[in-house]
Amino acid sequence: MRRARTLLGLAAVAALVGLYFALRAPVDAFQGEYARIMHIHVPTAWLAFLAFGVTAFGSVMWRLRRSRRWDRLAAGSAELGVLFTGLALLTGSLWGGGVWGTYWDWADARMATTAMMFFVYLGYLALRRSSPDADTAASRSSLLGIIAVIQVPLVYFSVNLFRGLHQGQSIRPDGVTMPPEMLIAMLVNLAALTVVYVALLVARMAVLAEEELVAAVEPIAGTSVVPPRFGEVGDA
Amino acid sequence: MPIARLNDLRLQLGRTPVLAGVDLSLEEGERLGVAGPNGAGKTTLLAVLATLKSPTGGAGEVLGAALGTNEVRAVRPRIGWSGHQPALYDELTIGENLRHVARLAGVGVESVAGVLEEIGLGGAMERRAAQSSNGMRRRVDLARLLLTRPQLVLLDEAQAGLDADAGIIVDEICRRAVAEGGAVVMVSHDAGLLTDRVDRVVRLVDGSLVG
Amino acid sequence: MSFWGQVREFARRDLLAERRAGEVVSIVVPFGAVALMAFPLALGIDTPVISRTGPAMFWVVTFLFTMQIALRHTASDASHHRAMLALVGIDPFARLVGRSIASTILIWLFMAVMFPVMVLFYSPALPPTWLPALLPAALAGMGLAQIGTLAAEVTTGLQARSTLAPLLVAPLAIPLLIGGSQALESLVRGSGILPWVLLVSATDLALAVTAALIAHPMEDAAL
Repeated sequence: MRRARTLLGLAAVAALVGLYFALRAPVDAFQGEYARIMHIHVPTAWLAFLAFGVTAFGSVMWRLRRSRRWDRLAAGSAELGVLFTGLALLTGSLWGGGVWGTYWDWADARMATTAMMFFVYLGYLALRRSSPDADTAASRSSLLGIIAVIQVPLVYFSVNLFRGLHQGQSIRPDGVTMPPEMLIAMLVNLAALTVVYVALLVARMAVLAEEELVAAVEPIAGTSVVPPRFGEVGDA
Repeated sequence: MPIARLNDLRLQLGRTPVLAGVDLSLEEGERLGVAGPNGAGKTTLLAVLATLKSPTGGAGEVLGAALGTNEVRAVRPRIGWSGHQPALYDELTIGENLRHVARLAGVGVESVAGVLEEIGLGGAMERRAAQSSNGMRRRVDLARLLLTRPQLVLLDEAQAGLDADAGIIVDEICRRAVAEGGAVVMVSHDAGLLTDRVDRVVRLVDGSLVG
Repeated sequence: MSFWGQVREFARRDLLAERRAGEVVSIVVPFGAVALMAFPLALGIDTPVISRTGPAMFWVVTFLFTMQIALRHTASDASHHRAMLALVGIDPFARLVGRSIASTILIWLFMAVMFPVMVLFYSPALPPTWLPALLPAALAGMGLAQIGTLAAEVTTGLQARSTLAPLLVAPLAIPLLIGGSQALESLVRGSGILPWVLLVSATDLALAVTAALIAHPMEDAAL
């Protein structure tokens, strides 16, 4: 937990640094101040991809090693992935409303595929919650965690496959289409939010470990049962 | 006044006769055992005595209410039943389950803690019913009868799967009911489980009482 | 315990059980949002049609998924529960009313989440003063809760309960769908909503009377 607290402190500092860069970065002539939303929107989308990738990795490792640590990694990362996906959808919607006058565009494949990914992982979390014990949750959700990650490349490449409001990738193998100052701000925010992700993940895994410890020391059913004591306690 | 009286009572479920002319008299302070093989109609007989099933023929009275009439609604709170399946809500804790029943029955919820201590489950009050063993769930179901203190106690295979300590709970429920002028009907497929706990045993075979 | 005391106790128990199980929040609500997404994806990119159909889709999704809410597993009483409750001396109508109230609260929660999701996905024309539409919407939600509770009651113990129950009572929900959706339409057009409020209220009243009439016979049939 101490490590988690240290990382959370670091994450808070990183977030403030990222915010500073986002507020100081130049704005796009067409988008105006709405361009600043991109410094949050793009990193949160990336981190959602990372988080779900980590969930898939944790799920594979759990199936191979059956260690609780991998399941906690998968579960914690999935929760953060849902959080970041929700933030990506929210910030993207706000950006679209400001720049294009529409908060949602059905012609935009990335919006639709991102929303579907969001709901699939909500289902993952619901599956974990509905399972009667940790091992059942791990066993069932690991399969979904491995299969569902296929959505990540689908969402990422959807801008290339279908034309919509979403712009194409600004950072490509053949070059960067973004002014350097904006690129720096975006990369700083990406780094900052990555620190936030790691800090939250470590903290969440620590909490999950604590919860498992508490459950393990809770008296098993049998020890809660003692012989009846009529007459000693008195009639009800 | 007899606690219950059945005269040539018949009950048919669909085309299947389940009770085929049962004559039974249950007096105050009596503990009656009903033994019989599976499918003999023991649980159905208890359901009739609990006024939960109406006869299709014959007549009967329980606690002064004629079976098959609306009179039975008034006497139901004086009847208690513990059956095969404990009537617990899985998402609630053991304490919450009993407090729920206590409130509905008009019994002070402050009694719940004491009853749980008496039956040896004082340390399990905050345990969810779904996470409790079958034995614990059965004990809690029996505890319900200690809370509501029914005049007519109906126990359907009450001791099946329970340990000796739980048998003590069953005995205490019966003792209190009898001491307060009530009666007990205990059903089991094994007459040997009944012998030491009841005043007389009757056998139900193919819907009729023999012996 | 008094009738209303029993009603409060049953509503409280249902809501507590649902809070622990989390079926509505973690499963039904996301599923409803996915359903709202499905129609525009299937229709294709026809923004005016999507916009026009938004409120209607909200009500269709609300109707279909509130059946799921009313039939959730924490809202079902097995035969041994019902026997126990009957012997405690509860009024079966109080049990139905309590369950309806709990389902109403959950359905209102569902609607409160689904409506902004619908607005986001469909961009419908909303009237400048949309607050009056809350009344017929709330009444419709209450009616849907009653319908679901009645459906669950009528199909208690049946194996095909989860599929049969919605089918049995679907026609009863039509006035609620019409009243709820047309109230918003009326506000968009600038006309009054009183006829729709009366329609939904009358339906709710009829459902309440039906519940009162069938409570005891259904209890006897289920025991």
